[in-house]
Amino acid sequence: MQQLIPESGLAAKAASTLVSPPVVRRPSRIMRALRPWLTFKAVLGISLLSLLLVCALLAQWLAPVDPNKQNLMAAMIAPQYFSGPHFLGTDHVGRDLLARLIYGARISLSIAAAVVVISGAVGIALGIVSGYFGGRVDFMIQKVVEVVWAFPPLLIAIAILAFLGQGLGNLILALTLQRWIPYCRVVRAEAMTLKEREFVVAARSIGASHLRILGRHLLPNLIQSALVIGTFAMAAAIIAEAALSFLGLGVPAQIPTWGSMLADGRAYVSTSWWMSLFPGLAIFATVLAINMLGDALRDNLDPKMKRRR
Amino acid sequence: MLSYFIRRVVGTVPVIFMISLFVFLLLHAAPGDPADLLIPDQASAEDIADARRRWGLDQPVLVQYWRFLVSAVSLDFGRSFKYDEPVLALIMQRFPATLELALIATVLAIMIGIPLGIFASSRPNSWFDNASSLGGFFGVSMPNFWMAIMLILIVSGYFNLLPSGGRATFGVAEDPITGFLILDSIIQQDWVGLADGAKFLVLPAIVLSVNMTGLLMRMTRSSMLEVLSEDYIMTARAKGLSERVVVWRHALKNARIMVITVVGLEFGALISGSIIVESVFSWPGIGQLLLQGITARDYPLITGLVLVYTTLFIVVNLIVDFLYAAADPRIRLGG
Amino acid sequence: MSARTLTPLATAVIGALAAGGLTLATSASAQAQQRTRVTAAVTETIASVNPYADSVSLMYAIYSQTYGSLVDWSFEKGGYISRFADSWSNPDKTTWVFKLKPGLKRNNGEPVVAADFVHSINRAMNDPQTKQKHNVRWIVAMETPDERTLIIKTSEPVAPMLENLSRVIVTSKAQFDKLGAAADKDAPVGAGPYAIKQIAVDNFLAMTKVPDHPDVKPENPDEIIFRIMKEPESRVTALLNGEIQIAQFIPPQLVPRVQGSSVASIVWEDAVELMFLAMSPEHKPWDKKEVRQAVAYAIDRDALIKVLLAGQGTRLDGPIGPGQFAYDKDLQPRYTYNPAKARELLKQAGYPNGVEIDFYATVGRYIADKQICEAIVPMLEAVGFKVNLKTPEWGTMWANVQKGGTPFYYMGRGSVIDPSAALSQYFETGQSPRIKFSNKEVDAALRAEREEFDEGKRIALMRRAMSVITEEAPAHFMWRHKMATGVANNVVFKPQPTMDINGIDIMMKPRARATK
Repeated sequence: MQQLIPESGLAAKAASTLVSPPVVRRPSRIMRALRPWLTFKAVLGISLLSLLLVCALLAQWLAPVDPNKQNLMAAMIAPQYFSGPHFLGTDHVGRDLLARLIYGARISLSIAAAVVVISGAVGIALGIVSGYFGGRVDFMIQKVVEVVWAFPPLLIAIAILAFLGQGLGNLILALTLQRWIPYCRVVRAEAMTLKEREFVVAARSIGASHLRILGRHLLPNLIQSALVIGTFAMAAAIIAEAALSFLGLGVPAQIPTWGSMLADGRAYVSTSWWMSLFPGLAIFATVLAINMLGDALRDNLDPKMKRRR
Repeated sequence: MLSYFIRRVVGTVPVIFMISLFVFLLLHAAPGDPADLLIPDQASAEDIADARRRWGLDQPVLVQYWRFLVSAVSLDFGRSFKYDEPVLALIMQRFPATLELALIATVLAIMIGIPLGIFASSRPNSWFDNASSLGGFFGVSMPNFWMAIMLILIVSGYFNLLPSGGRATFGVAEDPITGFLILDSIIQQDWVGLADGAKFLVLPAIVLSVNMTGLLMRMTRSSMLEVLSEDYIMTARAKGLSERVVVWRHALKNARIMVITVVGLEFGALISGSIIVESVFSWPGIGQLLLQGITARDYPLITGLVLVYTTLFIVVNLIVDFLYAAADPRIRLGG
Repeated sequence: MSARTLTPLATAVIGALAAGGLTLATSASAQAQQRTRVTAAVTETIASVNPYADSVSLMYAIYSQTYGSLVDWSFEKGGYISRFADSWSNPDKTTWVFKLKPGLKRNNGEPVVAADFVHSINRAMNDPQTKQKHNVRWIVAMETPDERTLIIKTSEPVAPMLENLSRVIVTSKAQFDKLGAAADKDAPVGAGPYAIKQIAVDNFLAMTKVPDHPDVKPENPDEIIFRIMKEPESRVTALLNGEIQIAQFIPPQLVPRVQGSSVASIVWEDAVELMFLAMSPEHKPWDKKEVRQAVAYAIDRDALIKVLLAGQGTRLDGPIGPGQFAYDKDLQPRYTYNPAKARELLKQAGYPNGVEIDFYATVGRYIADKQICEAIVPMLEAVGFKVNLKTPEWGTMWANVQKGGTPFYYMGRGSVIDPSAALSQYFETGQSPRIKFSNKEVDAALRAEREEFDEGKRIALMRRAMSVITEEAPAHFMWRHKMATGVANNVVFKPQPTMDINGIDIMMKPRARATK
C-alpha cells in the first residue's frame, strides 16, 4: 500500500528535498518559522509575485522606453531579445511591447486585485451567511444571485461605462458586479457541509456565538476553496478587460494594460504572435505566482495540518 | 422536500419579474435605441423618428414596459427589431446550439478535470500534479479567442482535420427535430449526419471547456486534499482498505459537493459566456444573437434572451441544491 | 492504481474526439458531383426574410438579385441600366414615367406587373418593420394606367431618384395578397437569376440558380451558400481548406497567407465606402477652418496606408474617388502631409500653444479603425493638438453622432455611388446634426443639383459643392479601402465595388469540381 500523505506533512517533505540537508544543530526559532516557507513552490511564488509587483510599482524606471511612443516605421517587429532595442518586439503602431507589458502590470494587477478582493469579500460574506443560516436568508441571497447572474456581463458593462464614463474605477465596478457570485456559491456549499460537522456542532453545543463559529470554525476551513476561485477570478478579470477593450469599452486607449494588449493582438494572432502571447504569459505568471503562494499557504496554515503537527 | 420545491418554483416569479424590469430600464437607459442603430446610414432624422413612432419607442419607458408585460403573460415576448421574427421563436431556434455546445463542453470538463484533480491530489507536489496544474493555469491565462484561433490554425489549418467553423455541412444532416443536432441524428439514425455534426463540435467544445476543466481540476484537488487528511480517512487506511477504495469511495464522496457547485456555476457561465467562442467558430447559438442584439439595442430580443438565461440559471441552481441533498444527507434543504 | 483508472477514461475521450474528426473525412458529399456549389463566407448578418425589414447591404444585394428591381447601377457603364424598366422619362421634374419590359415573368411563371411596383414601394414605406422608408420618402403618388406603365410623383424634384428606386426590392403583389406577410418566408418568388432556397437568420442563406433565366450561364454555380464567418482567421483557413470558395474582407495582415497558397488567390476592389474624419464646426476649436485644415495636413496618410492597411487603401483628394458618380479625373492631390503647415495653420487660428481635443474612434467596425486612430494621435500631437482618444461602444457612439454630440470622429460612409444623398446629409445646412456644417455655396449647389435633370449640368454643380467642401474641410476625406476578397482557384469571381456578391458574377472553372 502506498502512503499518499506522509505523516510529517507534505510541506516538510517537499522542503526536505529542496532545502539543504538537515542540519545537526538545532535551528534558531526564526529559521524554524521560516523553514516551511522555503519550499520550491513558495520561493518561486514569492519571487514571481515580487517581480510583478516591482514592475507595477517601478514601471517608469524599469521600462526601456515610453510605452506610448509610436513608430509606424518600426511596427510589428518580432521579438529581438538581445539583438535589438525591442526585446519583445513591437505592436501594430510600433510601440515597445516590453515597456507596455511592464506598465501594463500596474493597471492590470490593480484591476485584478481590486476585483478579486472586493468581490471575494462580498461573495465570501454572503456565501457563508447563506450557507450557515440557510432558510429564509439563504433563499433571499440566492434569489439575488439568480437575478445578478442572469445579466449578460456585456450589457452591464455597456450601461455602466456609458453612464459613469470610461475609467478605471467604473471598469472595476462593472467587473465586480457579478464576480462575487462564484465565491458566494462555492462558500455557501462549503458552509452547508461544514455546519453539520462535529466540530461545528460541538462548538454550537457549548454555546459559541454565531459570529465566533463563522469566524473561527467555518472561515478557516473554506478559505481554500475561495482561494481557488480567487486565482481563477484573477485571470478572468484581466481577460474580461480584454473582451471589453475589444468593443472599445476597456480603459482609455492610451493606458497600456495586458487586457488591451491582448485585444490589440487578436487581429494579429497568426501574423504577429508576440502581440497576444506575451500579455497572455504575463497573466499566466500572475496566476502561477498566486497559486504557488496559495499552495504554500495551505501547506502551512491549513488548520487540519496544523492540528496534526 | 416537495414544499421546498414548490416554494423555490413560486419564488422564481418575482425574480423573473424583477429581471425583466431591470433589463428594460437598463436598456432604455443605455445610449441609442433600435431606430438609431437599425435604420441605415442614408436615412434622415425624420425617417428615424418615424421608425421610432412606428415601433412605439417614443412612448414613456413604463408604458413600453407595461405593454411588454401584458404580452409576455401570454408568452409573447415581442418581435425582434433586427430580425423581424418573434423573439421566442428566434431564441428557441438558436438555443439548442448553445446548449448542446455547453453540455458537451461540460462533459469534457468533467471527464478530464475531475480525474486529473483526483490523481493530482493523491500525489501532491508530484511532477504529475505540477504539470497538470501548470497546464490548467496556462489554459485559464490565455483568452478564449487566442486558444480558438490557435486551434483553428493548427487543427483545421495545418492538419486539415476538422472544419474551421459552423455547425454542420450544408445539406448533410436531415431536417432537425429537437434542434440538438447530435440527438437528432441519433434519433434519425443518420450516422453521416452525426459524424458531420460531431466534427464541427470538437474544437469549440474544447475551447469552451478549458476554463471549467482547470477550475474543476483545482477544486477537486483542493477538496480532496482537505478530505484526505481527515481522521476518518486515516481510520479507513488504518483499517487496511485499499488506496483505491479510500480515494474513490470515501474521499471523493466528500469532494462531490464542491464538484457539483463548480459544475453548476460554470455551466451557467458557459451558456452566458459563449459569445467569443460562438463568434470565432461561427457557431449559430444565442451568444452571437445576444451580441447582435446588444449592438443593435434590440430591446425585445435582449429581454427575451436575459429571461432565458434567468430561467436556465434558476433551474440549474435548483438542480444543484437537490444534488447537494442527494450527495450529502446531512444537508437539509430549506433548513 | 489511479493511473490505471485514468487511462481507459482518457482513451475514451480521445477516441470519441477522434471518431468525430476522422470518420467524416471520407464522407464527402456524393450528390454534389453533378450540381455545382459555391460557399461564400460573409461578415455581415443575414437579418430577415422580409426584404423591407432589412438594413444590411449584404441582404440588399441578395434580394436585389433574387427578387429584382426597376433599375440598377452598372459600374462598368458608369450609369443606370434597366432591369424591369425598359425606359423612363420625366414629363416634368416631379414625375417619373417607367415603361416595363414586355413579357416579364417571375420564376414561377407569374407575370411582373406595374401593380407589383406600387405594392413594393408601399411596403418600403408602410411595412410595420420597414427600414427602407428613406428610399421612397419623396414619393407622394403612384399610378398604373396599364400593366406596363408606372407613374411616380415626387413631392419635389429629385434628380437622384433612380438611385433610390434601384434600392426598392420588387416583390409580388399577387403572392402577398394570397399569403400576407408569410409570403416573404413561404413564397419568395422572384424574377432574378437566383432564387432563395433557405434562410436561417444570422446563420446562413442558400440560393439556387434559375436555369432558364436569360442572365445565367452554364458556368454559374447551381447553388450558392452564404455563411456568416466573422473571424478573419477562420475565413482564411476555411478558404485554404476548401470549405468555402469565396471569403469576404481579408484583412491586410492575412492577405499574404492567401497569396502564398496554391489553392486560392486575392481579388482586389476599391470599395465605394468613404472613410473620413468629421470635424463639427458647432464645437470649438472646429469652428475655425484653419484648425480643420491643420488636421488634414498633420496626418501622414501614406504612412498609415502603408503600415496599417498594408497598402490597401486609395487616398481621396475630395469626397469621392474613381467609379463614383461625378468624380473629377483631373483632381489634384490635396492635403498632402505637411506638419509644418499644420502647425502654422493652428497658429493662425489662434492656438499657438496647441489645443486640447477629444477624438472618437470606432473599434472593429471598419478595417483597422482603432489602430489607425491610435496612430493618428501622435501625428496630431506633433503639430500641437493634445488628443484624448475615446473609443465608445458602437451603439453609444453612433447615437451620439446622430445627435450631433461628437465633435471629432473617424467614420465611414458606405455604398456611395451617387454622392448626392451623402453630401446633402453631412454637409447641407439643417439636413442632419452629424457635422452641422453650414455653407451657403454648398447649400445652393446641392439644392440645384437635386433639381437638375441634365446629367452634365448636375455633375458640374456637384463638383462645385465638393470642391468647396474639400477646401472648407468640415471633414477630411482619408481614403477608400481596397477590399481583398479571397477566391478559390477553381472559381472565377470579382465582387462589385459595393462588395456585393452576385451569383452571375461567379463562374465555375471548366471541369473543376464544385466543392472539395
